Amino acid sequence: MTAVLSDVNAMVAGQGGDGSLTVITLLGNVLARRGFHLYSTRNVASRIKGGPAAALLRGSSEPRSGMGDDVDIFVAFDDEAIETVGSRVAPGGFVVYDSSAGPLPSGFLPEETTVIEIPFGRFAVRDLRRELFKNSLAFGVISRILSFADAEAAAVLEERFAARPELVARNLQALREGFAFADEHGFAENAGPIRLTDTPSEDRILISGNHAAAFGFLVAGVRFFAGYPITPATEVLEFMTRHIGTYGGAAIQAEDELAAVNMALGASLTGVRSLVATSGPGISLMQEGIGHAGAAELPLVVIDAQRSGPSTGMPTKSEQSDIGMLVHGGNGDFPRIVLAPGDPSQAFDLAVAATNLAQWIQGPVYLMLDQALSQDSVTVPLFDVTGVEIDAGLRLTQRQLDTLDEYRRYAITEDGLSPLAVPGMPGGMSLVTGNEHDEWGRVSTDPGNRAAMMDKRARKIDAVKDDLPKGLRFGDETGPVGILGVGMESGVMREAVERLAVDGISLAGLQPRTIWPVLDETLAFIASRERVYVVEHNHEGQLAQILASIGEANGSVRSILKYDGVPFTPGELIDRIVLEEST
Amino acid sequence: MTATYRPVEPIWCAGCGHFGVEAALAGALADLVIPKHETLVLAGIGCSGTIQNNLGAYGYHALHGRVLPTAAGAWEANPDLTVIAAGGDGDGYAIGMGHLIHTFRRNPSFTYIVMNNGIYGLTKGQNSPTRQGTATIDAILLGLSVLETTFIARGFTRAPDQLRRLTTAALTHAREGRGFAFLEVLSPCVTYNDTYPVWEAEQLDLDADDGYDPTDRSAAFTRVVDLQSQNRIPIGLIYRDPAAESRSFVNPAASSIEPASHVESYMDVMSRYRI
Repeated sequence: MTAVLSDVNAMVAGQGGDGSLTVITLLGNVLARRGFHLYSTRNVASRIKGGPAAALLRGSSEPRSGMGDDVDIFVAFDDEAIETVGSRVAPGGFVVYDSSAGPLPSGFLPEETTVIEIPFGRFAVRDLRRELFKNSLAFGVISRILSFADAEAAAVLEERFAARPELVARNLQALREGFAFADEHGFAENAGPIRLTDTPSEDRILISGNHAAAFGFLVAGVRFFAGYPITPATEVLEFMTRHIGTYGGAAIQAEDELAAVNMALGASLTGVRSLVATSGPGISLMQEGIGHAGAAELPLVVIDAQRSGPSTGMPTKSEQSDIGMLVHGGNGDFPRIVLAPGDPSQAFDLAVAATNLAQWIQGPVYLMLDQALSQDSVTVPLFDVTGVEIDAGLRLTQRQLDTLDEYRRYAITEDGLSPLAVPGMPGGMSLVTGNEHDEWGRVSTDPGNRAAMMDKRARKIDAVKDDLPKGLRFGDETGPVGILGVGMESGVMREAVERLAVDGISLAGLQPRTIWPVLDETLAFIASRERVYVVEHNHEGQLAQILASIGEANGSVRSILKYDGVPFTPGELIDRIVLEEST
Repeated sequence: MTATYRPVEPIWCAGCGHFGVEAALAGALADLVIPKHETLVLAGIGCSGTIQNNLGAYGYHALHGRVLPTAAGAWEANPDLTVIAAGGDGDGYAIGMGHLIHTFRRNPSFTYIVMNNGIYGLTKGQNSPTRQGTATIDAILLGLSVLETTFIARGFTRAPDQLRRLTTAALTHAREGRGFAFLEVLSPCVTYNDTYPVWEAEQLDLDADDGYDPTDRSAAFTRVVDLQSQNRIPIGLIYRDPAAESRSFVNPAASSIEPASHVESYMDVMSRYRI
């Protein structure tokens, strides 16, 4: 019997360095050629090599920003893989087990699982003199299970090793051995137990949130980057180091996060669009500098790729527990904006928005990501680079400055925004300081000036409020029960709401893209509902607390929390909602 | 011409060494005919961290200890500016010490003037890492130990002509793109730590020593260590790397950020992610 799937989840697990990712990449290439949308993630320990590692891939005819409930095909390179993640296999799923090191451990897989035991590793060493070829062998077997044409599988393998022609022949040989094993198990070409639906093909990219955001910042005109290596934000440093020089910019690997944020402040002072990227521990170290951007009125964009905390926490695991720090962190009151994309497309768009908004408010703007969003790769349509607009805010040209009788760096205006001249411009000389200051930037403790300056800075947020990215709605707009979440919750919330609707439970969904300031539309969404489930990955319900404290206290905010480092699956989130609704 | 802020009167006590530093800096900027709008003075926190208010140039007040990374960022972003970082010994050698060694290592082409008075003046007299009679740090030896270091000098506000000369030499070195110019100035605090008499007694002017070769790193290191053991403080040009060549730098502030001018290149970057 053949199952026809429009949504397939695959997992390959073994020890780090086994090449699990290779099998997943090859599979992804076939699925992409067939028009499937991809979501790809990894489950690794924070170490360089070794240790249990799993690569997961979802291919679906609908775009999905997260993995499915369970795994249809599981390639396990050792017994530990079966023991640690075997429980994720779907009832009726297929397990391809490398029995080189021993027999299949019992009791870890669902009973209806079809297991194909083949000593891949031993055959690869015996026939091809290198264990790594077991990946192509395994790929051959799963190609047959998924009813791919043999030529189709061979084509992606050839493409994969195009840059290393010496490896192509032996990998193809390994692939053919895989086909032969599949034949022995009765999986003939084009006639496996699983067949995929036909899906129209589109031009897409497969990109992570970190890379999409970094690219967005580059296109938005960021020409200075400073960073310090930290998981899961390092890809931004690597992207900028690799690309920014092509466009006349500079990327610096600083000695620490204190240096990084202050370097960015210095660069911003000269009018160059500046970015830093880090994770929670680095954000903690940068708090003083970010407050300085608020007080001294310097445009600054900060990426926070959140990981589980507190302290060093679990560096490779996802969490959303910096929300309180981003919204309220730092000493003193200063205006700031916190934007939160839900997938790589949004990360690109909001990177552009964050850069322009920082120019307008001359202050700090956060782009809040989380490990899953930062590091998982998703297929998305090509970004519209020609549609990106560079908005310079109130940056003065020399001609504009020349027409002024006098220039005050911190001019108190109706909307709080002060025209900006930068070093190098004759007539624009100013004093920039994080001390309280008068309109000229001279240090002042005058009570009247102090109050006026605090009010001026606060007004800047009102001035840009209409330009802040609006939330994305889904589900039943009119439903009395709502669901709300950001970042890594965005895709899984949508999928859960779709599935609940099929079962007759309708929910109104909102994914705010601006977390701070809290937009009126967000408060209205909550105020007009009996209950709103705020889904987030932290222990204290940080986002829920903020929403409940800002909005009308109608008691409608309920938390659905997870803090084990693992994203929700749609089924898991559905269970939590149903449980809440039934109590 | 557009009118801008009126320079502020110094906040320093009568007799403070910092007046001498400011005079030397203003004199050097005038000697080199550097326009105020092309001059960016960044200062740290402390009494010394107000010097930028007094000069009429672009001024920036950095966070405590962070004047070096801030200046490095400003210089990287616009190397056409004359970037001058300034601050005290508490700012530079205590809370900010980590940045100094990395700035020597990276060798960016700007000037750093440390006004060393051995004390935290603004908070009324706590010891700094250079307080005489305590366990101290010598930033000049630190700089000499980093292979990339290109310019090290020490001035004394009691030797104003030499101080102006050294300031001019430091600015020139950095402006010519030869690298990081480090100038420490003995700048006594008359209120909390009046070191004028002891520094006058202990200073030793290497500029006046014909036998001293400031282009010989190992000789400089040996000499400074020897003098340290004799309780003598060398002043003058300590070291200048004779191989430090004049370099030019890419200027991000002048780069084009309009997407239209980079569409093809951006599309190339994006196409690497095509699947």
